[in-house]
Amino acid sequence: MKTRHIQYGASEAERDYYRSLVKQHGSPLLVVNRSKILQQYNTLKSYLPGVAFYYAIKAFPHPEVLHLLAEAGCHFDVASEGEIDLLKQLQVSGRRTIHTHPIKKDSHIRAALRGGSTTFVVDNIDELKKLIPYRSRTGVLLRVSFRSESATVDLSRKFGCAPGQVLELATEAQSLGVHIRGLSFHVGSQCANSDMHVSAINQCMQLIDECNQNKKNPMNMLDIGGGFPVNYVGDDIDLDTFFKPVGQALSQLSSDINIIAEPGRFLVAPAVTGIASVSGKARRGDYQWYYLDDGIYGSYSGQLFDHVIYPLQIFNTDETRTPSILAGPTCDSIDIIAEDVALPDMADGDLVIGHMMGAYTYATAATRFNSLAGANVIFVD
Amino acid sequence: MKEFQETLYDAISQNFRIDKMYFEQKTGHQHLMIFHNAVLGRVMTLDGVVQTTELDEFIYHEMMAHVPIFAHGNARRVLIIGGGDGGMLREVLRHSEVEHVTMVEIDAAVIDMAKKYLPNHSAGAFDDERAQIVIADGMNYVRETEDRFDVIISDSTDPIGPGEVLFTNDFYAQCKRILNEGGVMAAQNGVPFFQIDEVKNTRLRMSAHFSDQTFYSAAVPTYYGGIMTFAWGTDNAALRGTAIDELRARYQNAGFRTRYYSPEIHIASFALPQYVQDAI
Repeated sequence: MKTRHIQYGASEAERDYYRSLVKQHGSPLLVVNRSKILQQYNTLKSYLPGVAFYYAIKAFPHPEVLHLLAEAGCHFDVASEGEIDLLKQLQVSGRRTIHTHPIKKDSHIRAALRGGSTTFVVDNIDELKKLIPYRSRTGVLLRVSFRSESATVDLSRKFGCAPGQVLELATEAQSLGVHIRGLSFHVGSQCANSDMHVSAINQCMQLIDECNQNKKNPMNMLDIGGGFPVNYVGDDIDLDTFFKPVGQALSQLSSDINIIAEPGRFLVAPAVTGIASVSGKARRGDYQWYYLDDGIYGSYSGQLFDHVIYPLQIFNTDETRTPSILAGPTCDSIDIIAEDVALPDMADGDLVIGHMMGAYTYATAATRFNSLAGANVIFVD
Repeated sequence: MKEFQETLYDAISQNFRIDKMYFEQKTGHQHLMIFHNAVLGRVMTLDGVVQTTELDEFIYHEMMAHVPIFAHGNARRVLIIGGGDGGMLREVLRHSEVEHVTMVEIDAAVIDMAKKYLPNHSAGAFDDERAQIVIADGMNYVRETEDRFDVIISDSTDPIGPGEVLFTNDFYAQCKRILNEGGVMAAQNGVPFFQIDEVKNTRLRMSAHFSDQTFYSAAVPTYYGGIMTFAWGTDNAALRGTAIDELRARYQNAGFRTRYYSPEIHIASFALPQYVQDAI
């Protein structure tokens, strides 16, 4: 995954397609394929039947994407007032959301409640106490931390209580009059295998059983988070191998337990293609530099924040290739998309296609550095 | 089929069928709807919570207006905080001895919208010469005004949301400041069966400023969950004990008919269930 994959060449139809998009909408672009998102959603549904999916809005927080998924019956994982507002604009009821940020200010809680989002995630006693004023209205998921060795992005360091603390927190919550609906976990993002998911599901089930033994309000929800992988080049992930054990583990759960998941990356990553073009070039030392109109401060921000190296495609198949550097448009020297890649000679205006650019690209590209506008987001079917 | 599902509680909710949408406004922070329901008539919701319906609004408005006004017996000047739909103004103005009503609504658009889509609520009350409409933040108004009132009615939204300040210590203190001697304030205080903490909070905050503090109640069906409470604050402890004969005489003299309020209901509404008494 850490090596750059470059595809040289494209069919004539492909070239015409990308060029016509740029001609029509300008460059740079992020092209969102609606049917691919729905296809990913349906894939998840077929692998994990009976699970309710809450799209992690943060992955690609675009109203059109939310609208598409809302229409398809998807629910939403929100973590901020801004995300709740996005849903309000689309008239998606707060009842179709859970609020998953474990750390909240009182104003965040109130804003969520005003948005109709009444289920909150909590991972420690101080945060639990913040819900006391709202205890008659809210339900809580306790976030438990199980760390995945295979995750690219570890989400269990920053948030989550230790499994050993669950019973204590649940007991404390009961005495505070706060209703714990169930447990949630995130083993990480882009997990290579599902071992941790399976083990976390099994451990959570035990914890729920343990807690329910002497509680008047039984827990009845398990949130298995996200982390479902997509195939960036070289990852070689087989979805059958990944999901079957998860489905099996879930099928062991009592039918009283509502299972939910929070896919983000899985739904959007393969559905978005970036199109950038060469703005200019220079020969510096041993390298040929190409300056593109999109970069690390834009759609390629995921290379920095999300640790993904997107597979690229250029149209030129010329086998005379020089060591080159693909740089972004800002003045910052960190703004380099690809170091030391072998590229044929490219001219101003030539297109560079970035694949698998749906997750944490547009989302983190919101900087206004150098007052550069971000890539234009367009939708295709 | 379109449905409105209330978002007040995590574990339970009520659903209304939307038969026709009359008005919908969704700004970044606020979602306001007025729609028709075959049983309830026109329904107004704000941020997923029922505000008022044509079918049962009379219970709420009659009880909020007539209980303090008849208890007082000589209310000339009345202040309404909130109440943009005009229903409270309508009921207050039915008292001919009331010479002046100031209604303070934070959002002029709510009044315009209610006149247009909920005309039965105000039923012309906005045109009454005794009514003065002030567009201002209720908290700022009570803090700054030099006017004085015999009765103050706080017709607010839920404490989570724009009505938050109308449940604060400071608000009650300012209300007390602008009440004439012997005056009384009544304030919407939610459904105690599901929101007992709100009763406790109001008790604590309001009783710091009024020597007599209690609640009275009425069941408004679309404020789901049984009875709702109205907070009562005054320094005239005799008001809540106004005798039935006195109330009957005042009601008779007032010369209008009500659909929920009666002198008997008035007396009975101060009897609180044990679970509410225990909480306060």
